[in-house]
Amino acid sequence: MNIANPLTPEGIWVWVAAILTMAVFSFLYRENPFYRFAEHLFVGIANGYAITFYWHRILVPYLFSPVSQGQKLYLIPIAMIGALYFTRFIPKVSWLVRFPIAIALGYGAGASIPRSVDATIIQQLKATIVTRASFADWQQGVWAVIILLGVICTISYFFFSSERKGLLKPISYVGVVFIMVGFGASFGYTVMARISLFIGRLQFLLGDWLGLIR
Amino acid sequence: MTASDKTRSGFWDRLQRIDRRWVFLVIWLVVMLPLIFPFGIKPKAMPPVSRLFSYIDTMPEEKALAISIDYTPDTQAELHPMTIALLRHAFATGRRVGMLSTQVYGLGLGEEALRQVASEFNEKATTHEDSVINGEDYVFWGWSTPFLTVMLGMGERITNVFPVDYYGVTTESLPITPHIKNFNDIGIVVSIAGSSTPLSWVAYAQTQFGIRIGCGTTAVSAADYYTYLNSGQFTGMLAGMRGAAEYEQLLADKLAAAGSPLSLRRKATEAMSSQTAAHLAIIVFIVIGNIGYFVTRRGKQ
Amino acid sequence: MKRQLPLLIVLVVGIFAAAAFLIPHPIVRSVDEVFRNDVLRIIAAFSLVLGVGSILRHHFIKIKRKAAHWPFSYITIVALFISAIIGLLGGIDPNRPGILPTQVGGFSFHIQTLFSNIMVPLAATMFALLAFFMASAAYRAFRARNFEATLLLAAAFILMLGAVPLTRIVIPPLPDFAEWILAVPNTAAKRGIGFGVSLGIFATSLKILLGIERGWLGGGGS
Repeated sequence: MNIANPLTPEGIWVWVAAILTMAVFSFLYRENPFYRFAEHLFVGIANGYAITFYWHRILVPYLFSPVSQGQKLYLIPIAMIGALYFTRFIPKVSWLVRFPIAIALGYGAGASIPRSVDATIIQQLKATIVTRASFADWQQGVWAVIILLGVICTISYFFFSSERKGLLKPISYVGVVFIMVGFGASFGYTVMARISLFIGRLQFLLGDWLGLIR
Repeated sequence: MTASDKTRSGFWDRLQRIDRRWVFLVIWLVVMLPLIFPFGIKPKAMPPVSRLFSYIDTMPEEKALAISIDYTPDTQAELHPMTIALLRHAFATGRRVGMLSTQVYGLGLGEEALRQVASEFNEKATTHEDSVINGEDYVFWGWSTPFLTVMLGMGERITNVFPVDYYGVTTESLPITPHIKNFNDIGIVVSIAGSSTPLSWVAYAQTQFGIRIGCGTTAVSAADYYTYLNSGQFTGMLAGMRGAAEYEQLLADKLAAAGSPLSLRRKATEAMSSQTAAHLAIIVFIVIGNIGYFVTRRGKQ
Repeated sequence: MKRQLPLLIVLVVGIFAAAAFLIPHPIVRSVDEVFRNDVLRIIAAFSLVLGVGSILRHHFIKIKRKAAHWPFSYITIVALFISAIIGLLGGIDPNRPGILPTQVGGFSFHIQTLFSNIMVPLAATMFALLAFFMASAAYRAFRARNFEATLLLAAAFILMLGAVPLTRIVIPPLPDFAEWILAVPNTAAKRGIGFGVSLGIFATSLKILLGIERGWLGGGGS
């Protein structure tokens, strides 16, 4: 592989992407105008991209097309409620923005309550309870018991309704041990994640741009 | 304290206050050099990865694979190889694919992935059956908002949620649509996300419609999601670039066993040498930092 | 009117949304479907106004006041308008261009081209910077000061080593041990914390529905 040719239609974009990548990396030395340029460019393009798809894939097919064909005319008042978002920028009537927010927030909160309770509490509780079936494989059974004890200890660490003494003290300390191992696992994986992001950029710079790797 | 103790303590003290740009330089080199001079290591799939692979591999033939591009460009280095690997797996086994996005910025990434993988297969195709055709073998439904409209609506009728696909074609007119009407025709939805969207898939789509959910996630979130693997709410999980590399390996093994002529670039696997070197470097940094901390603390005492 | 009516809307819409899940009656389900697909979607689409409007206002004010680095605000505004015009007039599918051609000769400036070659590298690189700051922070601040911190550090080391394929050759049992840490003690801790978080979300959702949590109303117009 060779370095991307900036005189070809594809190559010029590879160069643009590479220069922007280096502009952002220049922040590692210190903040500078190249980084600031890249940062501001990103915000602009990201918003332009979002506008494109909100228009072409939501407003046109769901609102303008049916209404222009005389269908779903009830969408007109709904669109007017949606348009109240504009009032956020008109101080005298900015309170009107509460109406579209109220509909979105109300539905979101109402829809999430029964479903989240089931998914994140009931199903999780079911998975924590140790039954005879947990010992179908004895090793898995032992792990299930450790998980059950770990969950109890962890929760007891966050139990602030009474003073931490007596039995609660050692139990909550075991909880701390579990929590620290859990946080350590998260940290180890966070390192992996961040390094991966950098590797991705280097794969682009060394591969697509410089042609040093395939 | 002796003079040598003072000198030692001074050295470690200076080392602790080193300009951070030296640390940056070391990280840059440690990641870059193994990319240029890799040491070939074959990843071995861990249970969360192999569970997802086996489920997709063995689910009934008529069931489609749905891939939800719930990530954005900032985490694409970790997550995009997962999308590529899943698409290759589906196309190599002749499985129908439906792709969607719950993030507007995921759309462009989904389009890139489909274009790349479809052309990989079509370049080698000699017959119509070998080809991978948009609208017949796969559909890119595109994006809609808010996410719960998508997750709940797809259980009822997908064409109501996506009347037009990403390219603006009416979904009712696509030959694939009669085969993927709603979740009943989908074997599993794999949500690839840098956020908590896979949990939303569980809460909305799984709770109401019982659909299986697979998860591809950044390593940052992976440790938190093991609890959903343990409960069976996630059928399987790919954790970060490592998860993608393991999936790539399973697919490569399967293709090799089937004598497939496809030789596909595996970006996540290629990254594993750098990943190894970087982890070792970070560990060394922490160890040096700690030695310095204890030596200087003893010096001060 | 200004406060009570929005609070009433939240309550009514919220109860309906919860009921639609709990009452599997066809009429309730079909009303819910229409509500989601038509009402919610159109309203959500207009919410973009808040984001774009705030960005534009912020940068116009910066330019007007000549605040620090104000010339860069022109970059954001010009990039926003140019990319929006290309996207709106040039269309999404390059094979079915809109009223604005997005290709001159072989050179494309289609919205997908801008996404792949400007947005992706910028966003991906900004996040890649975190690798360096994380390494620097780990070097300077990650200290085994006590037993708990040492435990955290040990778990992190095992995970970091267990996650890479080379370890399977050098220390064969380590990757499986790392996986065990994730699957057993880590799961126990995260599940315990998760119960607390889930109950917190549940309580907050309920407070929003019942009008106890009113932060979203913002100031003014009492």
